Amino acid sequence: MKSALTWDVLAKCSTTKARAAVLTLPHGPVNAPVFMPVGTQGTLKGITPEQIEGLGCQIMLNNTYHLGLRPGQELLDQCGGAHVFQGWNRNLLTDSGGFQMVSLLKLAEITEDGVQFESPHDGSLMLLTPEHSMSLQNSIGADIMMQLDDVVSSLTTGPRVEEAMWRSIRWLDRCIKAHKKPETQNLFAIIQGGLDPNLRKVCIDEMVKRDTPGYAIGGLSGGEEKDKFWRVVSQCTDLMPRNKPIYCMGVGYAEDLVVCVALGVDMFDCVFPTRTARFGNALTSKGTLSLRQAKFKDDFRPIEEGCDCIACKSYTRAYLYTVVTKETVGCHLISIHNTAYQLRLMRQIRESVIEDRFPQFIHKFFKDLFVEKSAYPEWAVNALKSVNVDLMGGEEASK
Amino acid sequence: MSPLTFSIIRQSTQLSAARRGTVVMTSSVSSSSSPLADNDATKKDKRVIETPGCFMYSVKGSVPHLTPDTLRLQGFGGVNVSIEQLLQDHQPTGLDKWPFTLSKFLNLQDLILLCDIREASSFTKVPFNSDRFVSMISNKGVRQLTLEDYLKVVRAYHPDIVGAFTDSISDTKEPGQKRVRKSVERSLKWLDQVLLERQGFDGLAQDREAEEKKKLKSRNKENQTPIVSETVASVSVSPVKRTTLPWTDVGLFAHVQGAQFEQERVRSAQETAKRTGVDGYIVDTNALPGSRDDILKMLKASMDHLPKDKPRLVYGMQAPEDVLRSIALGADLFDTTYPFLLTEDGKASLFSFGSVTAPSNTASIDSATASLQASSISSSANNRWINLWDDEHADKFVPIMEGCECYACKGGRHTRAYINHLLKAHEMLATVLLMSHNMHQYSKFFANIRQSIASGTFDQLSQQFCDQFGTEPERTGEIHEAQRIVEASLSKRNRLDSSGDASPVASDPAELEALKEARKAEKAQKAQEKKQRQMVNKKEKRSQKLKERELLEEQKMNDSKA
Ligand SMILES: [Zn+2]
Ligand SMILES: [Zn+2]
Repeated sequence: MKSALTWDVLAKCSTTKARAAVLTLPHGPVNAPVFMPVGTQGTLKGITPEQIEGLGCQIMLNNTYHLGLRPGQELLDQCGGAHVFQGWNRNLLTDSGGFQMVSLLKLAEITEDGVQFESPHDGSLMLLTPEHSMSLQNSIGADIMMQLDDVVSSLTTGPRVEEAMWRSIRWLDRCIKAHKKPETQNLFAIIQGGLDPNLRKVCIDEMVKRDTPGYAIGGLSGGEEKDKFWRVVSQCTDLMPRNKPIYCMGVGYAEDLVVCVALGVDMFDCVFPTRTARFGNALTSKGTLSLRQAKFKDDFRPIEEGCDCIACKSYTRAYLYTVVTKETVGCHLISIHNTAYQLRLMRQIRESVIEDRFPQFIHKFFKDLFVEKSAYPEWAVNALKSVNVDLMGGEEASK
Repeated sequence: MSPLTFSIIRQSTQLSAARRGTVVMTSSVSSSSSPLADNDATKKDKRVIETPGCFMYSVKGSVPHLTPDTLRLQGFGGVNVSIEQLLQDHQPTGLDKWPFTLSKFLNLQDLILLCDIREASSFTKVPFNSDRFVSMISNKGVRQLTLEDYLKVVRAYHPDIVGAFTDSISDTKEPGQKRVRKSVERSLKWLDQVLLERQGFDGLAQDREAEEKKKLKSRNKENQTPIVSETVASVSVSPVKRTTLPWTDVGLFAHVQGAQFEQERVRSAQETAKRTGVDGYIVDTNALPGSRDDILKMLKASMDHLPKDKPRLVYGMQAPEDVLRSIALGADLFDTTYPFLLTEDGKASLFSFGSVTAPSNTASIDSATASLQASSISSSANNRWINLWDDEHADKFVPIMEGCECYACKGGRHTRAYINHLLKAHEMLATVLLMSHNMHQYSKFFANIRQSIASGTFDQLSQQFCDQFGTEPERTGEIHEAQRIVEASLSKRNRLDSSGDASPVASDPAELEALKEARKAEKAQKAQEKKQRQMVNKKEKRSQKLKERELLEEQKMNDSKA
């Protein structure tokens, strides 16, 4: 199908499956691997669009379900889409709305037609079909839009998983057919199939035939064992076309990002960094600081030495301690720092891939974060071993 | 030498006492008690507030909703911060190890920082003050600040300007005359003590002496045996002895008291004016009873007896017309509570002073007509602001105010429709954008006032402003219907989230942990608040009793006179 993007791989890691690329979208270039902050309702937790740009963010996520409810399709059409509506001139990605429904609304029911749910406004029954999702996403005007897929929990087993996989393929066809603006908006397919390698393979084969501009690995990050999670990711990246961006949905913890890049993933999103900021939790390369704890009262260091975000340039931990979870400014500052942290991490990863020293970066990253090797998560050690990085054997072993 | 200079550029020659001037803060190389004070590399040599102008209202040094970068776009030269809020987290005992000046700690080195004891934005009732302490409210309950604490705090904070230790009556809005006289006298005594300490002299000697005498007296009573005390001798230090480093590079603003009694206001102003070393005056109208006209009359009583060559800071005069009338009485400095309160209500200001100097004539007319049209169907039945909660803005893809150069409006980047959406979505960017706009317009309002004083059109334009924009409607504290609905549905959702099985929204363990912690913290806070309320009630009852006694005494006195 038509594509409104270009994908230029600049460098490949000679050890792992990592790659550095430029993804050029209708609203400008995106350096990959990329983390996309989540601005659910057309805004990122009190951070102004100018500040988000200042952090070097080139693509942000909006949620179709929320924007569909408010401001609603009619107003989005009236003002010319979500970019204009929120004063954001860079790229946007929207989900299909399906996941939000299944996760937010307990009464959602999935039929061949679509996802049936109770309107949160008046309780009436509504139906989100692939066609409706496409229509909404066309109104939003996101640079990347996601197909409506049949979401099952990654903990589900049995025939339901296969059913969801086949239905997702059928719904992809309906999405492609209903997509009105393939010249300006890119539709990504979502690979389903649970934790079953065979189903994943069938799904990839079928979806690759549809030749969408990019692919996402769906149906993960739902509480499955991490050791199963990385195996699915790795299997998918092996089978997916290497000339297109690969997006792993809902992944955003620092160690997950590093591992998944090594496994060949290019794009990520997660609400975690900005959501946790609300509780006063600041992310650093040495772990999370819960700034609402009294131990920071007399800590006159910035959140993270060397961070050039406005929170670290302006304030000490001692000051932030007095405002987090109490003042909106405290929340804004930590959100800015956490977003800066995520984006910086991705920049560092990318630079190390370009300079072909990603394995060394991984070693240092885990050492900084976990200090002792005994504290390294086993799944991460296994995952990295599968791409020739031996965390336990030391840096030399993986060169 | 004072670090602060006030120059009057133009004194209104018309009917009013309005004046146009500047407050300039020069970082000096004095021997200050805080070694870091002069080492702030980023501290600008010269910082200015154009007057009439404002200190920005802050909560612990953060202007609500504005991060440091957005804050710098607002065009105000100063920030007001209260000891009341700051001491919640940094006690006097911890302050001796504090490696900062307050400016540096709050990252406000490029602005003029005024530190006062209590919150300037509104009247919050607290239990009574005594000869030994003043009462303040922190989120940990009522606390008492002694003169000694205050001095410790000032030395540690080392702000640019500090409000003098004072007895502002905050346990009642209508104190008896005796109580007011006491407040005036106490404030003068404390001012003298603070002035001594600021020069490096022991200002507390007389207090210690009195304390010792009292102790001695009670001990003598108990033992019935006279004690020739050496301790008394040892504490009777001569008040002219230099004991600590001076902090003369901190500007000092004295509070003028007098409550609703004109003669006490006059006395307080006259007596305070006699003290040398005072750099400016503060008149707090927050606690004054009566109508706006009554309060302005009380303000005038103070203003008329203050030296003309020093700046006057007025609390509690926030709405535009109150500001104009206060300026006409000779007020120079205000605070930004008004734009903050508008923001909290979801309102965006549309007024401007002197349409000749408005961004462009058409723009102000446009917005005025827009709001006039709006008023027929909206909650904003005036043309000084609009309420962005109103449904009518949902499809208005235009900036709040055409031609406004604030962060929100500039280039048409953010629209009324978007802010309406953000409010209803309960998103924090709503207040960021509203605050940017309201602060910018408030700053513009003052800039236009200054220009009009300079060009001699202030009186005329003030009249024009009042004709055009009327007076501020009473702020009822009522919540907008749309806001009520949003908040109700939110609390319903929160209840759903916390009951039943873990929804996939918060499926990851760290998230659940954080949520749990937040709930726990919320519970603890609620319990704390309850305790605090009980404490306040108790103290209130006690102060009520004291007041009754006072009234009774006063009555007796009057009776005996009669
Ligand atoms: Zn930072
Ligand atoms: Zn504006």
